[in-house]
Amino acid sequence: MAKKGEMLYAWTNDANLAKKAECGGAVTELLKYALESKTVDAVIAVTRGVDLYDAVPVIVTDPKALDQCAGSLHCGTILLSKLVTEYAPKLAGKKIGMVVKGCDMMGVLELAKRKLVNLDNIVMIGVNCGGSVSPVTARRMITDKYGVDPNKVTKEEIDKGQFIIEYEGGHKGISVDELEEAGYGRRSNCRRCKVKIPRQADLACGNWGVIGDKAGKATFVEICSEKGATLLSKAVAAKKLSTEPANPKGIEIRAKVEGAMYKLGDKWRKHDFEALAPVLWETIAKETSRCMKCYSCIDKCPVCVTLADKFKQPSLMIRPGVLPADQMFHLRRFAHIADSCINCGQCEELCPSEIPLALFSHAIRTEEDRLFEPKLGKSAYTN
Amino acid sequence: MQDNSSTLKYVPTTCPYCGVGCGLNLVVSDGKLVGVEPYKRSPVNEGKLCPKGASCWESVQKPDRLTHPLIKKNDKFEKASWDEAITLVAKKFKETSDKLGPRALGFHTSCRTVNEDCYALQKWARVAFQTNNVDNCARICHGPSVAGLSLSFGSGAATNPFEDVLNSDLIVMWGSNAVEAHPLAGRRVMQAKMKGIPIVVVDPRFSATARLADKWIRFTPSTHIALANSMMYWIIKEGLEDKEYIKERTKGFEDLKKTVENYADCEKIHGVPLETVKTFARQYAKAKNAVIIYCLGITELTTGTDNVRSMGNLALLTGNVGRPGVGVNPLRGQNNVQGACDMGAYPNVFSGYQAVAVAENRAKMEKAWFMKEGSLPDWYGVTLTEQITQCGDPIKAMYILGLNPVVSYPDSNHVKRSLDKLDFLVIQDIYWTESCEYADVVLPGTCFAEKDGTFTSGERRVNRVRKAVDGPGESKYDWEIIGLLAKKMGLKGFDWKTAKDVWDDMRSVTPGQFGVTYEKMEKPESVHWPCPTIEHPGTPILHIGKFSAADGKGTMFGLEYKQPAEVADAQYPFTLMTGRVLFHYHTLTQTDRCAVLHYEVPESYIQINTEDAKSMGILDGEKIKVKSRRGETITTARVTDDVAPKVLFMAMHFAQGVNNLTNTALDPLSKMPELKHCAVSVEKIKEA
Repeated sequence: MAKKGEMLYAWTNDANLAKKAECGGAVTELLKYALESKTVDAVIAVTRGVDLYDAVPVIVTDPKALDQCAGSLHCGTILLSKLVTEYAPKLAGKKIGMVVKGCDMMGVLELAKRKLVNLDNIVMIGVNCGGSVSPVTARRMITDKYGVDPNKVTKEEIDKGQFIIEYEGGHKGISVDELEEAGYGRRSNCRRCKVKIPRQADLACGNWGVIGDKAGKATFVEICSEKGATLLSKAVAAKKLSTEPANPKGIEIRAKVEGAMYKLGDKWRKHDFEALAPVLWETIAKETSRCMKCYSCIDKCPVCVTLADKFKQPSLMIRPGVLPADQMFHLRRFAHIADSCINCGQCEELCPSEIPLALFSHAIRTEEDRLFEPKLGKSAYTN
Repeated sequence: MQDNSSTLKYVPTTCPYCGVGCGLNLVVSDGKLVGVEPYKRSPVNEGKLCPKGASCWESVQKPDRLTHPLIKKNDKFEKASWDEAITLVAKKFKETSDKLGPRALGFHTSCRTVNEDCYALQKWARVAFQTNNVDNCARICHGPSVAGLSLSFGSGAATNPFEDVLNSDLIVMWGSNAVEAHPLAGRRVMQAKMKGIPIVVVDPRFSATARLADKWIRFTPSTHIALANSMMYWIIKEGLEDKEYIKERTKGFEDLKKTVENYADCEKIHGVPLETVKTFARQYAKAKNAVIIYCLGITELTTGTDNVRSMGNLALLTGNVGRPGVGVNPLRGQNNVQGACDMGAYPNVFSGYQAVAVAENRAKMEKAWFMKEGSLPDWYGVTLTEQITQCGDPIKAMYILGLNPVVSYPDSNHVKRSLDKLDFLVIQDIYWTESCEYADVVLPGTCFAEKDGTFTSGERRVNRVRKAVDGPGESKYDWEIIGLLAKKMGLKGFDWKTAKDVWDDMRSVTPGQFGVTYEKMEKPESVHWPCPTIEHPGTPILHIGKFSAADGKGTMFGLEYKQPAEVADAQYPFTLMTGRVLFHYHTLTQTDRCAVLHYEVPESYIQINTEDAKSMGILDGEKIKVKSRRGETITTARVTDDVAPKVLFMAMHFAQGVNNLTNTALDPLSKMPELKHCAVSVEKIKEA
């Protein structure tokens, strides 16, 4: 019986899946088993849309259909957490399995704090994430920096600090640092992110630290909860999954990778926050003055919860229909999410006016966390 | 295997509002449309949306959609079967045509609906009734662009893609409030500004777009030609014109030079200080790559076509056409205003701008459309608003697909009187509109979320529209309704089974779009036409090396400034301009059904200058009466310095609104009515 805190190498016993999936296919196998064993009623995962730059969420109830979700998509920058409450009303009260990167997980935890989801009903299979690249940026980057037609790329991954592509006729890696210096690379919120291994999920999975003969053939799994331990143990007992203790050297390497990521995150925080500090008010005022009130930063924010009768509440400070938006339009949102912005970056990525919204709210959150007791209780994560 | 997508499905499609063509995902849960999620894979908008796009799903599945054909009997609309409705419409149109000929019929198609519908309607009109009385609402937005840019460059479409402004060294926005009217094109300008590219906005009003500008040039409404001519005078005077480009690639320079000689200083016409004109002229001429983006501020005037050609003149004079970072780009208004024109829903051309006056073109179409040799008409059909004027004589029967003329055409009272004179009016739409009152038959079509098809955006990119949900009740695909009518009349060539069949029908007769296949549209990059062969990659930038005109040259024209048809006078001392607001689209049929959009702008308002308001004792938020020679409207005053003294601005969207006031006077070349300029008076409403 596996226990919370254990670290393992795991791989599927299904030879077909092993071929299709990455790193031993443990994540897909665990979700499949969760469905087959009725541990969960449905799985929310991500599949490839029109090509590998297009990540599309799906709700899967047929275990066989999970194969389509195998593999990573570093150019998919979607956030799953709010989908649970917004688009899956029929799943209310049912058991759900989810594949989560750090921001998805943090979003779910914040929703749970607000009692909008019940964590008892959710199994979160966490996956390591060093950051993601917006699809259009990725395509431009591959054209400009790699000199490769992005339509010819068959696989992409981020490994050892490089963004690596495989394409018809070769493969090529360029250091993420170099790409980001040139204005490409990961989203700016991802650069500042320090939740690279999602340990507040039930299981934290990834390829960091898989060495020796298992390299590329197994997934590193850190067991983060009793729920996670039970699922994994049962999958092993059902002969779906094989495990062995993680190589101690591998554990060390994984910690090193994480440490390097933290360092990089700190570098970007220093870069972004120190530049903002002396000109904070005027920068916020200037940038938000372009706002065209699309409401995406509110609607797509995992921690913004609005009132049902919001359009019936007259405002003395935000005049309807007036552009540029009155300043309180953004100030009230920053205030609302001050102690819970998870720096998922959706607000900024979706902003049609190119306002660096996540920069502002992430800065506010990190400073707030240093001084105040959070209103909804301390978070299980820090970012 | 269980369909795992039955509970949650993302359908990538194209926004139904403006001509930018943003990609978005419609979210379907158990057959119901439940939301919009970003489509970050789209190169047009990278997942970002404006307030309208983000809420566009809300207007689709409302209980008040049209669900059955309706036939007016004894002045009351009654539900009818499709068979009954199709039989009646086919019979009435056939009878009218047999008795009175092709000029007794009129066909209007919307730029809001898919290309396939537009192609189907014009094909039916031409094949069934041998009429060219078919037009679309580009006539009242970018008709002058089609006419003007064709004369200047040989193609009536935008020269460069939206994103290409990032390759520019100077962006001139002239009569375009992109931030509100084309928000995601506005975003490109915001990005350009962040890159440090200077932006000049030329607009009588301090618009949301003017706020972005490094330099905002306020000028007197509708004096574009005087201002452009004055700029060109100084460019030539200071020897800043691109002599080599003029010699190699253009004609008409002498004509232009002679005309602009009289425009050295015309501040009294356009109101811009001479030094500002000179500075701007030098800046534009000296920029390595300068792009002009314009919109309806240029076109919706009786000088619309000349205004457009003036933009062409500026670009040709300075060598700013035919490479990245330059060009003259109209921001096409509606989602498919480019496409509706491309499809040949136009009174003088077939699809792909093949002139009806050319015998070979007619012969080719007759063959493709199973028609008798020599049966297609060569005459220039009657344009949109002229058809309204011809209601009753000679037009007796009219077919309107997806338009609401009572609200959107100029001079609403005139439109209502005209529609009343028809013997038979059919309206095909998704909602009951103000115009349906005047119909004899109302047919329920399907909206963007309920059908497959294509919209062609303002950058000539053909974007796929994908069906997410079924239409309500007995509604049908719009091209399918046209097909039923044609088949009822026993016509061949209308046996389409899918939207792709209609598209392929169009491709087969349209050389410039032959290579634009549904397969190539699968990825959101899609294709920019012209794209003549399957292997062809498409043409994002026009006129590279050679203009599209027959002689390969760009043409400059000497154009004189003319006053608008109606100018302010003692009785009507204010100039009224019109435009869009960010939160609404056209006649509100869709946008006012979205909670957030209704919240932002629930009713019409008028911008009035602070001094004028003060002198008349008008307070911000007060209801006032605005009158023109054609009608009056009551609206709310917004007191602001964004408009100059004696200039008013009102949005176009509201019934009993601005089109009670607007003028029907036409631009002689494009038949564009003067929607952007009329004379009005303002009255305080006496307190009861």
